[in-house]
Amino acid sequence: MKSSLTKVAALSTLLGLAAATYPVAAHHSTTMFDREKTLPLVGTVKELHWTNPHVAIFIDNSAGQGAAPGLWVIELTSPGNLVRSGWTRTIVKPGDKVTADIHPLRDGTKGGALRKITLTDTGQSYTYNIRDQERPNLEQDYGK
Amino acid sequence: MRLWLSAILLAMLACVGLAAHSAEKQKPVINPPPTAKDWAELAKLPDWSGVWNPKITDQDAQVKTNMPPWNSKAAELVKWQLAEERAGRPPPLFVNCLPEGMPAWMLVTHNSMEVLFTPGRVTLLGESDGNRLRRIYTDGRPHPADPDPTFHGHSIGKWDGNALVVDTIGVVPQAYVAVSEAAGVPNNGDMHITERFYLADKDILHVDLEITAPKVMIKPWKTTRIFFRQRARLYDVVEGVCLEGYFKPGVDKDGYAIYIPVPHDVGGNRVPPK
Repeated sequence: MKSSLTKVAALSTLLGLAAATYPVAAHHSTTMFDREKTLPLVGTVKELHWTNPHVAIFIDNSAGQGAAPGLWVIELTSPGNLVRSGWTRTIVKPGDKVTADIHPLRDGTKGGALRKITLTDTGQSYTYNIRDQERPNLEQDYGK
Repeated sequence: MRLWLSAILLAMLACVGLAAHSAEKQKPVINPPPTAKDWAELAKLPDWSGVWNPKITDQDAQVKTNMPPWNSKAAELVKWQLAEERAGRPPPLFVNCLPEGMPAWMLVTHNSMEVLFTPGRVTLLGESDGNRLRRIYTDGRPHPADPDPTFHGHSIGKWDGNALVVDTIGVVPQAYVAVSEAAGVPNNGDMHITERFYLADKDILHVDLEITAPKVMIKPWKTTRIFFRQRARLYDVVEGVCLEGYFKPGVDKDGYAIYIPVPHDVGGNRVPPK
């Protein structure tokens, strides 16, 4: 299971890099996030809300440069869409040291949409792009 | 005297007639228990098992290529909504975790669904809104004369070969005819939706919709929405309780697991920390 998840994660990362990543919320448009801008957050995960309709990761941006220091809330898509992109609710946990590339809210408040998150300890990266999964029988990709 | 007797007799007959009429009116319509033959008949239907996800890029494309024939007032609203969305201020349509409803579920969802066949019924189960659901009666019943309005309306369906043809009325006037998650107009009532579900390819489900919404559109609008199938268990539909996002899991002073409200805006977005 673990190795297949790693494969899925690797594939997701690959796909995410190959195509422009569009973190898409389940229930509202996401143009409040500025996709022209990517900011790095570097710090510690404080909370993970693995909840519908959008998962959120709270990151204390203690070591980041280029984004305001302090607690940020980073939005993702729904748990279902994330699972279909190879995530589980335990891959990012409170206390984890992470680097997160985010598209910030345009209004300058400390919120953003996730583009990619990397766990400092393992180097493992996760992303997702539900628009890049628009074909049937995706499981056939995983062995490749 | 004879006249009086006749009058009393007539009145009594009228009472009996009324009572019979009233009993007839209240007699419940019984849904018969399905027979073994009914279950066997389901095997003849096309295979729509698995999990169906929407082709969102086609939804995106149709905002540009297939706009509903809005009346001028609705067109003005949609033009403003799209401009706001482009400017980074997307107007929230689906607020407070109310269901997207019909026809927005079919038009703009980003989440998966599954289709269940049972005798006399097709059921669509979806992953969002707090677990969305459509019941489509295929037992030959008509629509009620005056159905209570609901988010998904009253749907009756019939099989035309391998296609399911569905007719829906009784949708709440507040339900959006939406072209995206940020652009759409409440149908305002009297909406009628027909749909044709069919496999366009082995693992591709098409839904041809024709939406008549005379309060906001000048003529019926046709659109086809595309869903693609996954069979891997990784893709199984999961619970999707929308209101969850307004809370975070926590523990109260007595050690009981509870949900703690988190600050959010009307669109359901968590308010960033100060």
